[in-house]
Amino acid sequence: MNPKRCAACKYLRRRCPKDCIFSPYFPPNDPDKFACIHRIYGAGNVSKMLQQLPVQTRAEAVESLSFEAKCRVEDPVYGCVGIISLLQTQIRKTQTLLAKTQAEIAVAQTKHSQHTNL
Amino acid sequence: MSSSGSPSSSGGGGPCGACKFLRRKCVPGCIFAPYFDSDQGAAHFAAVHKVFGASNVSKLLHHIPEHKRADAVVSICFEAQSRLRDPIYGCVSHIVSLQQQVVSLQNELSYVQAHLATLELPQPPPATVTSSGSLPPLSISDLPTITPSMYDLSPIFEPMSSTWPMQQQPRPSDHLFGVSQSSSIGGGGEFQAIAREFLHGGQMSAHQPPPETGGSAPTVIKRE
Repeated sequence: MNPKRCAACKYLRRRCPKDCIFSPYFPPNDPDKFACIHRIYGAGNVSKMLQQLPVQTRAEAVESLSFEAKCRVEDPVYGCVGIISLLQTQIRKTQTLLAKTQAEIAVAQTKHSQHTNL
Repeated sequence: MSSSGSPSSSGGGGPCGACKFLRRKCVPGCIFAPYFDSDQGAAHFAAVHKVFGASNVSKLLHHIPEHKRADAVVSICFEAQSRLRDPIYGCVSHIVSLQQQVVSLQNELSYVQAHLATLELPQPPPATVTSSGSLPPLSISDLPTITPSMYDLSPIFEPMSSTWPMQQQPRPSDHLFGVSQSSSIGGGGEFQAIAREFLHGGQMSAHQPPPETGGSAPTVIKRE
């Protein structure tokens, strides 16, 4: 058993075994990370998800789950889908402005060539 | 989302999709019934249950005002489907992809605006997104107050200015997200459409159902 429990086992108030699936990703100095994930996904679901992944990908999976969980806690209605929506809006607006600027360039270049021909 | 005409609540023609999946009695007032019909709802609830768990979703919905629950269910289904398709990154890969697209467009815009400014004809200063009447800057305060170190989205939402960096600072996880423009979500466009259409409509009016999409879309909302 780990001499120091990981944040997950601390939160779940249980012993932290040597092969605890959570311990590499939930250090005891960051209790909020697991608390958030547990609130949204539940320990059992996260454990199952991690078990189905290759070990070398689990750290990234935990980070993305943590991000999504935090987004959901902050915005219970939209979660990180709200961020997707905002990004898509920004993309559309930037594309519009880009097109407008390119049109202005075309007009300016036309005027410039007409002025040069005079 | 779902245009199925079959009633989902237990009062009429059988259990809702959620209770059907859970093989339990669908009681009157079932929190899932309005959002998971008995046809496709069960399949969509299966994804939600696998990722979030029925009790977690139930608690979440109970804490959300009723008029916002439809939006919440759509976003939850979207995240669940994304996570099942990409168990490592879920919909975060989609966010990273969009973020890269934003940066690329902003760089292109800066270049084009600089080009416009160099033309000799007298003209007003190039329109930038910070000028009033054009693109209103998004500020980080408009977003969930989350900037996890590996997913720092704050540069995207700072007001664009002439000092906008041509290249984003590398993030620790950049090399890990080998995300191409195509989303890791299979048929990602449909989820974009769902999220965009529904969430834009949802932010203005609560009960605007998303458009009908292909079979893989989380078409769980039924019109009442």
